[in-house]
Amino acid sequence: MTDVFADPDPVPCEPDIDENGVDLAQIREMLDLTPADRLLVIQNLADSIADIRALNESRPVR
Amino acid sequence: MNRARYAEVLRRLAANDVEFIVVGMMAGVLRGAPLLTADLDLVHRRSADNVSRLLQVLAGLDAIYRHDPRRLRPRESHLMSPGHQLLATTHGDLDCLGTVGEGQTYEDLLDRAPQLNLGEGMSVRVIDLPTLIELKEKAGRPKDLAALPVLRATLSETLKRL
Repeated sequence: MTDVFADPDPVPCEPDIDENGVDLAQIREMLDLTPADRLLVIQNLADSIADIRALNESRPVR
Repeated sequence: MNRARYAEVLRRLAANDVEFIVVGMMAGVLRGAPLLTADLDLVHRRSADNVSRLLQVLAGLDAIYRHDPRRLRPRESHLMSPGHQLLATTHGDLDCLGTVGEGQTYEDLLDRAPQLNLGEGMSVRVIDLPTLIELKEKAGRPKDLAALPVLRATLSETLKRL
């Protein structure tokens, strides 16, 4: 581990991105999950989008 | 649009012994691709018994054709056809596909759709990543092509873990 006190100007790690700009860390996180957990991830995302849509629909038009 | 309840739709299909394969972006997600999708696509076996079981589940989900203002409900003849039935249900959008790609049926895809355990004793067939990539390449629509880099990278990372 880098001692940040010994190196006051540490260089951040390179992001784990492939040549097409795909975030490989995100893929590895998904692969670490069980299929049931992946289903939960997409469900939570869908719920968040539905919540945002509902909030936008309830905003008065100016 | 009703809120999507993916697990509940899959649970009802599985509980009613409907023979189907999850395809599309949802298959990619279940196989580990960090993608977003708004619907559930499946290819069903087009036998009379299976279509009857599927119709029963669709009735319970109050399924109607989502692009038709007449609120038409799917019927046996629709689900026996090779076409795509794009439905809205009380649990989100559900596409029942008679065939995909170049006329590939449930039976054609069976060997390339191993079962995945989705918890609570539920196992469903989900198309494998190489076949999904093949289907997306052939479909060639902008939304399919946009997902390809993520699907290919997911396949590559999956193979490293074998």
